[in-house]
Amino acid sequence: MSLGFFSGGPALLVSNTRRVLVVADLHLGIESDMARHGLHFRSRCRERLERLESCIRDASPDLLIILGDLKHGVPLTSRQEFREIPEFIERLRSLVAVQIVPGNHDTGIEMFFEPAEILPKEGAVVDGTGYVHGHMYPDPSLAGLLIIAGHHHPLASLKDEVGCAMRSPVYLFSPVDGECLGFPPGNRSPTRIMFMPAFNELSGYDLVRTVREPFSPISRCARWEAAEVFLPDGTFIGPVSSLEDYGADQEP
Amino acid sequence: MEQTRNLDPRIRECIRKRGFAELSEIQALALPQVQAGKHLVLIAPTGTGKTESAMIPVFDALLRERSAGFSALYITPLRSLNRDMLQRLSWWCRELGITVGVRHGDTTTTERRKQALSPPDLLITTPETLQALFMGKVLRKHLRNVRYVIVDEIHELASGKRGAQLAVALERLAEYCGEFQRIGLSATVGNPDEMGRFLCGERDFSVVQVDVTKHLELSVEFAGDSFEKQARWVGEAIDRHESTLVFVNTRVTAEALGHQLFSRGDVEVHHGSLSRDVRIDAEERFKSGKLRALICTSSMELGIDIGHIEHVIQFGSPREVSRLIQRVGRAGHSLYETSRGTILATGFDDLLESLVIARRAKAGEAESVHPPVNPADVLANQIAGLAVEYGRISRGRIRNILSRCPAFPSNGNLIDRVCAQMAEHRLIRLDGDEVITTLRARRYLAANLSMIHDERKVQVFDMVSRRTVATLDESFVVGSIYTGAVFITKGQLWRVLDMEEGRIIVEPARRVKGELPSWEGEQIPVPYAVAREVGRLRRTRSFQSYGAGEVSGQFASGFLTEMDRNRSRVPDDTLIVLEGGKEGVVCNCCAGHRANEALGRAVSVLLSARYGTTVGIEIDAYRILFQLPSHVGTAEVREALSGLDPAHVEGILQIAMKRTALFKWKLVQVAKKFGAIDPDADYERLSSYKLIELFENTVVQDETYRELFSVYMDVAAAGRILAHIRDGSITVETGRISLLGADGLFSSRDQIPPPLADHAVLSTLRRRIEGQEIVLACMNCRKWKSRTVAGRVQDHPVCPRCGARLIAVLKPWEEEQYAAAARKEKSEEEKTAEARLLRNANIVLSGGKKAVLALAAKGVGPEIASRILATLAEGDAFFAEILKAERNYIRTRKYW
Repeated sequence: MSLGFFSGGPALLVSNTRRVLVVADLHLGIESDMARHGLHFRSRCRERLERLESCIRDASPDLLIILGDLKHGVPLTSRQEFREIPEFIERLRSLVAVQIVPGNHDTGIEMFFEPAEILPKEGAVVDGTGYVHGHMYPDPSLAGLLIIAGHHHPLASLKDEVGCAMRSPVYLFSPVDGECLGFPPGNRSPTRIMFMPAFNELSGYDLVRTVREPFSPISRCARWEAAEVFLPDGTFIGPVSSLEDYGADQEP
Repeated sequence: MEQTRNLDPRIRECIRKRGFAELSEIQALALPQVQAGKHLVLIAPTGTGKTESAMIPVFDALLRERSAGFSALYITPLRSLNRDMLQRLSWWCRELGITVGVRHGDTTTTERRKQALSPPDLLITTPETLQALFMGKVLRKHLRNVRYVIVDEIHELASGKRGAQLAVALERLAEYCGEFQRIGLSATVGNPDEMGRFLCGERDFSVVQVDVTKHLELSVEFAGDSFEKQARWVGEAIDRHESTLVFVNTRVTAEALGHQLFSRGDVEVHHGSLSRDVRIDAEERFKSGKLRALICTSSMELGIDIGHIEHVIQFGSPREVSRLIQRVGRAGHSLYETSRGTILATGFDDLLESLVIARRAKAGEAESVHPPVNPADVLANQIAGLAVEYGRISRGRIRNILSRCPAFPSNGNLIDRVCAQMAEHRLIRLDGDEVITTLRARRYLAANLSMIHDERKVQVFDMVSRRTVATLDESFVVGSIYTGAVFITKGQLWRVLDMEEGRIIVEPARRVKGELPSWEGEQIPVPYAVAREVGRLRRTRSFQSYGAGEVSGQFASGFLTEMDRNRSRVPDDTLIVLEGGKEGVVCNCCAGHRANEALGRAVSVLLSARYGTTVGIEIDAYRILFQLPSHVGTAEVREALSGLDPAHVEGILQIAMKRTALFKWKLVQVAKKFGAIDPDADYERLSSYKLIELFENTVVQDETYRELFSVYMDVAAAGRILAHIRDGSITVETGRISLLGADGLFSSRDQIPPPLADHAVLSTLRRRIEGQEIVLACMNCRKWKSRTVAGRVQDHPVCPRCGARLIAVLKPWEEEQYAAAARKEKSEEEKTAEARLLRNANIVLSGGKKAVLALAAKGVGPEIASRILATLAEGDAFFAEILKAERNYIRTRKYW
């Protein structure tokens, strides 16, 4: 099994016997919610579709898995979403087979997908790799596998000597405590989680904050001391600890 | 009273009652012009009866003919001025039976309703409230018969976006009531005609000007450079006069000086941060003679009447000629009396600057006012205003209205771009050539009547002490604050833990390397021309001819003699001296704040691109400090400075500015005026780096650059300095840090981010690799190994046992390979491993520390390490090679 990093997404290509392209957290319809909070921008749905299409062209996958939070409005589906989502999915379907692991924002997603396209929200194993959105306890069948997860929108601040930061969405790769996740004990290989950056370019959540105050079962059970950070193009940044405030004191 | 003969007898009676024996100079000059119906700009200092010179003929005309609705509008930039004007004009209006009203933000609803039902003949208002008048149906009707518009303190308005907005408003007004007579009142400016064009556009106008300079008596004093001595001097100077205004440049200085002098009991502080009641109380007490002195900031510059002032003290250089004329102009004035003012200089730069400014003031060389050209956010604001006003309006008509404003020359394409941008934010709708209003447009307008950026204050809450420790301007928060950021305020370091609605949760941070964003507020920039003349004065040393007194003259020449004695070259208007010191390189360049800002930023971009390091800069009017690593010195700065093409400065700055907090701050302000961001927007929804992307290549971004490059820095002046360097009229020398170079208060701090965002990635990578745990193992005696971190290894590691330099670098988990290599009997696999270790050690032997660092990287073995070393890359480029190798390894990695 190998991973291909498509920084134009960010999207991840998981290749084993099949080629599976994964994207997470598209949050289509985010603009109408932002407008309610005083930020008025036109919808960038079309640009997102173009980005995704170009990833599909470059990766030529057998399957596209949307790792949850395709839509933004929760619990209701906004007018913007009704307008944009059907066409968005139709376009993807014309290029590749599509499946979705529903996320916490995906209430009412059934009206946009065929039943066969919807994977269980507790997660599913596809071609030897586990897929979850990341907001709930994953299904025990995922124990001992590499699990790809969304939901956390990891964002890293990189600093240099002067303290100038570059902020970038990142991948977080971390071993996880299976027992903590309620996985049955056994001598299988350790469970690892690859946290996906959000595909939506407006979303991002500082990963240091997630590490300090984990807000989901998998982030609470992650063994952060052994976690590694990668840029969307696969550049290895280092362990999470290397992102702590540079030069600043850390409490022991 | 010859001049008043053809005035209405009731007006002549009033003039007599006021006790004027004759008209003042300005009144006599202005009267016939206004009566002849000419558009007019009156230029005279405060307190010379300027207001009356405009209003007496207007009253005269109103007595003859009044119409329904407002007949005359009197527009001032400040509410406090409005109140003051109302007081002054009420008497006249009562005597003459003319109705007068004031309308601005503080006006009560009852009063507003009354004005709507029975509009006064004369309405005193602000430019912002004038905007609001266009919104209401009833009030709009009252604007139908306006025949006179008087704009007070026009120099103050014209220089900014408020003026551009007002200029459009006047043309919008003309759409209702046809042409009206325009009268502008201005303080001394270098370009009176520009004030006329600003007010009248293409219409004919005349300028009436009183020469203030002949009534100006200025001196420059020096009382030592300690604050206590200076404060004592101020105290003694206050004693010598009946009433004194002490002008200072910052609120902090006002408070500090007030603190020193409060015990006298007859001194009060007056500045914008104090509440209105406190200020009015101080004004009243000063007026009635209970206070002998007021310490004030620019809050007292405009014409608020506070009675007779005998003497004006300017504490520290006034920075600008017009500011000095304006401030000292507050003294004296029962018509022909002389205005007396003294500048107390506080240091060497300050003294020379004060001498130069005093000379220029006496010579009448006030600065020119430069109204903004094509400010796109004002355009957006006014298009929204027009859409709401008309409901539906063609772009052709908008174009027509704007074409009469000199602020918007050749605006054709700009209008279309602005409309498209606004439509994107759903502020207006477009239907072919028509602009159509929306519900949001009305709400937007109500919140955006003003072009003054209304800054939200954000509280900083300390988790540890559980109290609010400071308030920050929103701009700073938007630009520099995110979870985990460390910043300075109130002289302390804070780390951001969280951001909630309207406040930032922090904890004290202890130790931090390098520059940090800090919030200290803005300062008045020294103009290019003043700084150049200071340079000339350093060269000629003719302090006496500048009217320096004995103490100040001696101090100035003594300072320069000391420079000579140390064999330091004195930088002047023909000489730039680059001085190397501990902190970096000081570029002594007499060009003023704004030119130095542009120059400093442009050069630092070149330096950081060329040497792959981050460059910090600090600037003042006479120097630029480049904070540089030790291997970049004066020679490198000289090369960058001399090689910089004036034509490239703006392009370089566009790239550089984009990453600064200042740019983000301005961008948010402009975006708000475009209706993209509501005043109460929740910024946590969107981080500022994304905000910048959203406005890439839009008219919003263009406007941000336009404002930055015209208001915050002077790209053209920086270009002139560079051109002088090229043609040899300015020489550049290098030397050691001097008295003068080390002098000066550096107060403008900003971090210049590196040229590539990649630098941050490389820095993180470098820190990780230098912190990577490794094992050094001797491949010669095979009996020594040692655990360390890569960054700590010396340039060429040596085995302490056998003295050999054949040292292999292993990862901690590879240690057992070394044990195997020492064994006599080896398997095939172990033999291969041994060979690899030998290659590894050979690379360290030839490559030294660089090899050690390369081998400490993830997935880098001897083959890849030697390939990296073969590139001969250094610094950032070297780490970029390592990064490439790691990326390659990750791409081909099979186990995840």
